[in-house]
Amino acid sequence: MSELYRDSGVVLRTYKLREADRIVVLLTAANGKVRAVAKGVRKTRSKFGARLEPMSHVRVLLVRGRELDIVSQAESVEPLSPMLSSLDRASQGLAVLEAAEQLSLEREPNPDLYRMVVGAMRAIAERPAPLTVAGFYWKLLASEGMRPELDMCVRCGGTEPEVAFVAFDLGEGGVLCRSCRSGHPMSAEALEAVRDILGGRLAKALAMEESAVTHEVSLLATHALEYHVERRMRTVAMFE
Amino acid sequence: MVSAYTPPVQTLIDELGRLPGIGPKSAQRIAFHLLKLPSADVARLAHAINDAKDKVRFCERCFNVAEGALCPICADDRRDATVVCVVEESRDIVALERTGEFRGRYHVLLGAMNPLEGIGPEQLKIRELLTRIDAEGITEVILCTNPNTEGEVTAMYLARQLQPLGLTVTRIASGLPVGGDLEYADELTLGRALEGRRPVDDG
Ligand SMILES: [Zn+2]
Ligand SMILES: [Zn+2]
Repeated sequence: MSELYRDSGVVLRTYKLREADRIVVLLTAANGKVRAVAKGVRKTRSKFGARLEPMSHVRVLLVRGRELDIVSQAESVEPLSPMLSSLDRASQGLAVLEAAEQLSLEREPNPDLYRMVVGAMRAIAERPAPLTVAGFYWKLLASEGMRPELDMCVRCGGTEPEVAFVAFDLGEGGVLCRSCRSGHPMSAEALEAVRDILGGRLAKALAMEESAVTHEVSLLATHALEYHVERRMRTVAMFE
Repeated sequence: MVSAYTPPVQTLIDELGRLPGIGPKSAQRIAFHLLKLPSADVARLAHAINDAKDKVRFCERCFNVAEGALCPICADDRRDATVVCVVEESRDIVALERTGEFRGRYHVLLGAMNPLEGIGPEQLKIRELLTRIDAEGITEVILCTNPNTEGEVTAMYLARQLQPLGLTVTRIASGLPVGGDLEYADELTLGRALEGRRPVDDG
């Protein structure tokens, strides 16, 4: 009855439970989103230490339960401290968790999502670039089958250099030319950055300094993700 | 789903289930325990809840629990008004007072930042802290939020708001194990952490 299993996961969020326990919500590599009880975790001498805090990346031994699993062991894969070393890192990390929480389903394996979250966290720990979160959001949408059309007007089918793209429509999922324009205005530089993100040139986008363009790309990424999950993303707005 | 209980019992279970840390099963167990108690015992419990709610309120200055307008710490003029220790909850003050190391005043945020739960600066007593700085001549703020993700994020956010005001902003030392709650720390560890506080650098 008490089935044990091992997995790796990133802690998405935690809830207080009873005196000193917590419910930990993990995005795992092999089991999708898992909710598990960590006993005694709020005590300062807990065997779990800091390993089950939001943004922690852990290898866990879990006991399968009917509603909630139980965390039996947890060991750190990556240290949490870099994520808590600056407000930029922490707020970017939380923005990644919020999106992952929205797109993950309980007990539905989504190894791509897990890999992308771990990758984004590593990038943030190293250097929280202005476009790290936007890059993650755009790639997340693409992996969810919502890859935006960036090379052809979604209404008239026009392509460059015959037409120039000046807008992005969330509902239509792509760029529009001047005569068809609707939705959000989009600068040529922002379009270039989104093309870099989705065209295998992420490093180039991450090297960009903070500017009006990075703000535009970030805002559009947040709107696109919100349109897809039909819910407001709170973290990004909170730390602006 | 149709409830198996009569409406008054179901209402009681629902209300109990809204309390922190009480799941549906515990709510059910507590409800049936209450129903088995003599009427006088139930009346005493109801009275205690109402009485506490009527008489205890938040200190106008620091949001600690208080019986009057000010909590006992704010009302004590021997306390150093220039140093303020910022905590998440009133119960953290109890833990810090036990150390006997701190002679300043406090400020209770009534929570910690948790964007995924929709708890941001506006939901906490942050604006109220900022207005205290000038009004009370505060020169040092010690950030004593919990050593976990929410508490660290809150401390860094506060540091970013406070540093431009030209005061000393410090964080209790890392002797505290990350992940635990302040209220569970023993007074020796907490006292050392308070003594070894260090300036926050806004990275
Ligand atoms: Zn067109
Ligand atoms: Zn007070």
